[in-house]
Amino acid sequence: MPKITIDGQTIEVAEGTTILKAAGQAGIDIPHLCYHPAFPPEGSCRLCLVEIEGAPKLELACATVVREGMVVKTQSEKVKEARRSVLEFLLAEHPLDCPICDKAGECQLQDYYELYGLFESRYRETKEKKEKLVRLGRHLLLDRERCIQCTRCVRFLLEITRTGELGVFERGIKSIIGFYEGEPVDNNYSGNLAEICPVGAITDLDFRFKTRRWLLDSRPSLCPLCSRNCAINIEFHRGLARIELGQRVFRIRSRENPQVNQYWICDLGRYSYRYLDENRIDRPYQLVNGRRMNLSWEKLFILLSEKIRALRIRKKTSRIVLVLNSALTNEELFLMRRLFLEELAVSRFIFCDPPEEKGDSFLLTAERVPNRRGAEKIGFDVKSREEVLREDKIDLLLIFAAHLPEKMPLNWLSPLASQIGAKFLFASQESKLSQLVDFVAPVTPVAEKAGSFINVDGLMQSFEAALNPWGESRPEWEILVNLAREIPVNYRYFGRFNSPRAIREAMAEEKLIMSERP
Amino acid sequence: MSAPVFEVIRKEIEAILPRYPRKEAALLPALHIVQRKLGFIPPEGEKLVAQLLEIKPVRVREVVTFYTMFTRKPLGKYHLQVCSNLSCSLAGGESILKYLEEKLGIKAGETTPDGRFTLSTVECLGACDQSPCLMVNDDLYGQLDRAKVDELLATLE
Amino acid sequence: MNEKVLSRQFDLPHLHKIDVYLENGGYEAVRKALRLRPEEIVEEVKKASLRGRGGAGFPAGIKWSFVPRVDKPKYLCVNADEGEPGTFKDRYIMSHNPHLLIEGIIITSYAVGIHLAFIYIRGEYEKIAQRLEKAIEEARNKGFLGRNILGTGFDLEVVVHRGAGAYICGEETALLESLEGKRGHPRLKPPFPASVGLFQMPTVINNVETVANVPLIILNGADWFLSLGQPKDGGTRLFSVSGMVERPGVYELPVGTPLRKIIFDYAGGVKNGRKLKAVIPGGMSAPILLPEEIDVPMDCESVMKRGSMLGSAAIIVIDETVPIIEVLSKVTKFYSHESCGQCTPCRIGTSWIHKIVKRMASGQGRKDDLKEIERLASQIKGRTLCPLGDAAALPILAIVNKFRAELEAMLPQ
Repeated sequence: MPKITIDGQTIEVAEGTTILKAAGQAGIDIPHLCYHPAFPPEGSCRLCLVEIEGAPKLELACATVVREGMVVKTQSEKVKEARRSVLEFLLAEHPLDCPICDKAGECQLQDYYELYGLFESRYRETKEKKEKLVRLGRHLLLDRERCIQCTRCVRFLLEITRTGELGVFERGIKSIIGFYEGEPVDNNYSGNLAEICPVGAITDLDFRFKTRRWLLDSRPSLCPLCSRNCAINIEFHRGLARIELGQRVFRIRSRENPQVNQYWICDLGRYSYRYLDENRIDRPYQLVNGRRMNLSWEKLFILLSEKIRALRIRKKTSRIVLVLNSALTNEELFLMRRLFLEELAVSRFIFCDPPEEKGDSFLLTAERVPNRRGAEKIGFDVKSREEVLREDKIDLLLIFAAHLPEKMPLNWLSPLASQIGAKFLFASQESKLSQLVDFVAPVTPVAEKAGSFINVDGLMQSFEAALNPWGESRPEWEILVNLAREIPVNYRYFGRFNSPRAIREAMAEEKLIMSERP
Repeated sequence: MSAPVFEVIRKEIEAILPRYPRKEAALLPALHIVQRKLGFIPPEGEKLVAQLLEIKPVRVREVVTFYTMFTRKPLGKYHLQVCSNLSCSLAGGESILKYLEEKLGIKAGETTPDGRFTLSTVECLGACDQSPCLMVNDDLYGQLDRAKVDELLATLE
Repeated sequence: MNEKVLSRQFDLPHLHKIDVYLENGGYEAVRKALRLRPEEIVEEVKKASLRGRGGAGFPAGIKWSFVPRVDKPKYLCVNADEGEPGTFKDRYIMSHNPHLLIEGIIITSYAVGIHLAFIYIRGEYEKIAQRLEKAIEEARNKGFLGRNILGTGFDLEVVVHRGAGAYICGEETALLESLEGKRGHPRLKPPFPASVGLFQMPTVINNVETVANVPLIILNGADWFLSLGQPKDGGTRLFSVSGMVERPGVYELPVGTPLRKIIFDYAGGVKNGRKLKAVIPGGMSAPILLPEEIDVPMDCESVMKRGSMLGSAAIIVIDETVPIIEVLSKVTKFYSHESCGQCTPCRIGTSWIHKIVKRMASGQGRKDDLKEIERLASQIKGRTLCPLGDAAALPILAIVNKFRAELEAMLPQ
């Protein structure tokens, strides 16, 4: 374990560590553009040059492995001047696009200029003119004038997706990024290119000209669209005074998670966020002869608990059917089991997960629900068992659709609808399903609640709410706890559950489920 | 693009592949073969090379656009490559270039309308003791003056 | 000493044909070498102080000894890219005496344990490439190449590989990239090609003239070779002399011959009796020298002490009639055109400087242009991924420094 000194600090690092990584461990940031931790060092931007005692020239921090006794200076005059000069070179041929560039506020060139530049431009020649609106594929635009030739995009496609669509064409100052005609970047990970581009050369069409980075807050969550459960950040407007905004969420970004998705998310997860702000159910309502009558949650709980109580007294809870999917959290599934299966002796459960679609060999799974493993671990049979429908009459049907009412395969519902007593739908989105039931109540999607999932590899991850609930939406776990109070059922047990964390603790105590570690 | 010449190109490229430990190493010689047969490197040529070397066309395009000898635009029958580097310039290379531009009626980088001549400037040709030099396709001509240029052009039908 | 050694036979008609070559003692060096142990050959070449003749001047024997003796494929790449402006000696060697080069390749490969050698020849030398290929065929037919050479069990194939117009491919790691079928982008060093080279295997890269000297060392011994030159720089060099001299051409002279002697005694002095203004001593990448500096002995160390380099030993003579801005323009145009574009200082710096110089040359110079040029060149120097950055920056700095008055006079005050 070599010991080295960086800026006067002595630290011990693992054999084979680069100066850049060692500095990071010591809390020292060495600026870099072409380096990305997912790829081997490239060494072309020259921004990370540092001074090593005894070495005649400045050396690259990203590519130089530390040796015992090495003394490194990252703040000497020589280093500062070298950094300033790299920035000067880059800015000399860089268009002054900041006012119209989407990267403003999260641009490495801007950030480093503020930290290590702050010089007046001395470029008095004519800048190179290149194409500024090159469509790279479905989601991306390339501005060749802004490109600093860091080649992160080229290397991402060669090393991570192994699709290699982009290349460097021409030579010298005329170098540009490009692709072969007819073979643009159309893989399921293209959106990552806009994230790893340090400047505004590759930008996201989805985000183009919509807002500014500094108007957004960023909160962590998990992507609920497949069973990988990638770590994401949801970026939303923190709100502007007196201005009505049409949408809250402006984009999804990847969040680093070495165990699950490293630095990446797929385009499906990145671009499918509109459901969070569109087509939401605002408040509970009842459908009477096709007409919508708003209900309060209190009223809804009273109505529903009455029906359950009535069946319970007559020992007819066998006439209750629960339709679930694997988008529910571990905590919610646990409560379902405790409350319905065990307390109320409701055994008729059907899991109606959306049909599997094509997965890829990287992150996206064929399963398009986040928590099938959780459901299985809690003891549910996740195969859709439609024979359950015929076991007895159905006096009460409860559908917990989470954010998937459009996608749940419920073809059996329409023909059976008239024979079913009362039908309750708990979902986040409006859908055709709403017309087939009697009562509709809004639930919070994953982005708006806390909980935990178990992903395809058996890894349990918990998450907190990133957004405020839409309208009067409530999380399913809260609904179940309130229901237990209303019916009432063993409220001494259920009444303790004032948060998903509390539920998880109970699950751990009851040895039903697991800790955070896989 | 007539099919027979592509068959010839394919066979020639296949013949050189075994010389290299990896197919993709044959990219530059393969492109030379294409350019010699077709006079330039069209997309069909790039795609054929990509297919034979089992690489993506974009890798071929990266190489074609990097090296100055490869061209994606057709050249004239005679590619006049005039050295514009130091020793040739000291020997009067600039005036040879100007003379050619006058005589052919085109500027460096252009091709005569009848397709006979393309005029280019190139960097050092490695024949500085014979400055000023130019190459016509693969042949080097040195110690040029106006008279020699006239003589040379007369032989190029 | 006026004896030619390497180019001794170059005037023999048809020397490029193997029969003529054999009649004149050809392939004796190979026969002798294959009876020695490979390590002996490496030691001999080290003792001879044969320094690389491509530009960097690195001792060949030491480079060979960096190759690990492992059971992996190893490669030899002969650098015949000859792109350094002013240089034409390798053209001379390969067209007059291709078999000498082939002998050198065989001996070098045998010494290092290599069974596949590439001659990376610039695309513009097509005719020479064809001559090399014919010579290789002839050598194979006579049993000097292929399997079981001369019954020793040593196998060797030689492939001629053409470049396509990129000066940067003369840089050894860019050459490797190009040989692998890619853009000529130099690699980060370490690792060095001796351990991680062509297709990630141990590789030796040597210039044509360097390899062509190897048969001479085998035949005549390291001591002889060393005695021709200087203590740490043995043998002769083929000096490419061009520019404003009476007799431009290739001159084979001992390492350490003074520059003045080469220009005035051998090449006939400045043409038309004009006055000397400046001399580039080692190819365009070697910083310019003033007339009072040309007594320098032409060996690696001495030229370096003078603030320049022996480089490819290409001497370009400039007389008083040449405005120095013309020289500066050619320099900046060349490097900005040949920059591969990978690293920031070279890609942008060489172009920026060229834009300034172009403006100056067209009469639109500004007061601070020279200061800017010096500042920018200093920001390129020592900061780039490969030596092309210095190859551009140092000559530019030397020209501006040594001809400051003439250049300042072009600018408004």
